[in-house]
Amino acid sequence: MNPDSFENLRLELRRGCLVLAVLAALRREQYGYTLRKTLAEHGLEIDEGTLYPLLRRLETQGLLASQWREEDKRKKRFYLLSPGGAQVLDQLLTEWRSIDNSINQVLKEKSNGIA
Amino acid sequence: MELLERYLQAVKFWLPSRQSNDIVAELAADLYAQLEDREAALGRKLTTPEVEALLKQRGRPFIVANRFLPQQSLIGPVLFPVYRFVLKVVALCYLVPWVLVWIGLMAFDPAYRAQQTQDSWFAAVGSMAGSLWTTAFIAVGTVTLVFALIERAQAKSHWLDKWNPSQLPPLRNPHQIRRASSSVELAVNWIFFLWWATHMNSTNFSIGSSVHIALSPQWSWFYWSYFILALANATFAAANLIRPYWTPLRATLRMLLDAAGAILFCWLLKANILVGIAIATVPEEKTQIVTQAINTWMPRMFPVAIALGLLITGINIYRIVRLQPSTEPVSA
Repeated sequence: MNPDSFENLRLELRRGCLVLAVLAALRREQYGYTLRKTLAEHGLEIDEGTLYPLLRRLETQGLLASQWREEDKRKKRFYLLSPGGAQVLDQLLTEWRSIDNSINQVLKEKSNGIA
Repeated sequence: MELLERYLQAVKFWLPSRQSNDIVAELAADLYAQLEDREAALGRKLTTPEVEALLKQRGRPFIVANRFLPQQSLIGPVLFPVYRFVLKVVALCYLVPWVLVWIGLMAFDPAYRAQQTQDSWFAAVGSMAGSLWTTAFIAVGTVTLVFALIERAQAKSHWLDKWNPSQLPPLRNPHQIRRASSSVELAVNWIFFLWWATHMNSTNFSIGSSVHIALSPQWSWFYWSYFILALANATFAAANLIRPYWTPLRATLRMLLDAAGAILFCWLLKANILVGIAIATVPEEKTQIVTQAINTWMPRMFPVAIALGLLITGINIYRIVRLQPSTEPVSA
């Protein structure tokens, strides 16, 4: 298989998951850099070129709220999940679990079939 | 750190002015936080090459800024396949014939060839390439502009979403001859045949009371040849109407009839058939000029006729090749 094809599929799969991870991580207020570090610590590396446009998009959609504040003598923009965002996160998590469950069932069927 | 500021300035250049300060401030906070983290881990200031490596890892300023811009495209992914298809049609039906006609004129028309190659063959090809480029540029530009407008209309009104499955075209049978086209062909051929038989059987004929046309004696050969051909075409159209499916035999007959028509037409162009035109209200010198012009231009159209004849023959050959020996369905 072409490695580029795998990479494209992997990125496509990750894209939706990253939204979920960002929303989940922002149940606690954070600014961009610490959010990146938090996600990386949990095995979800995300570059700043993807994260900041995503944060802006989610904020425009009303899922996040942000404010500029000074911390360690530097102005930083802190993001927090909005009440609307919390609702959407719950719905997305339900969807996520449902998809996970469905895929597991499909995989189980396949392995039973082979056996 | 000057290098970081230069980087941020370069990113800012590409951002929309309304948001640029906000975005750059956020990027700066991230960049400086990462820098301080690295310096804290190393226990020293970063060197210039290390800072350069960090910036390189983030990407070109233009690309970084581009991620913050709304996704825009002149022609979106929905219309793009149609756009590409139309470009192919334009290339096949407009640009390729354009080149073929030029080749035909160069091959068969000495006057045109002499005019084109008066400097050199190289200049002639260069001139053709220049004209082709301009023609292609205008054609592609026009198609692109039209599709860009359609894209904008689609973005506003979503007219592509409004469609009715029942209006989809019926299933195509490549071997079927549409009855509608056979009916039209039959009517046109018979009308033409009757008109030809009753009005064209003379080397002198008139249009109204004031225009008189004289043709050379060779006309009678052309008349009778076309008489037979027109009758055959009309009979063929009737057969197609009754049994509306292509068979190898019928496709071969179609090819032969078309080839005969093309040969006759090519012969007519070269035959210097027009002897004179007389128009009651126009002086004879002027009608002679018109006669000369027609007799000059008809042979010049010969390469175009050859190209068209070859194209039609090609289509006919394709039809014959595509047909399998036992493809005629039992019922219509």
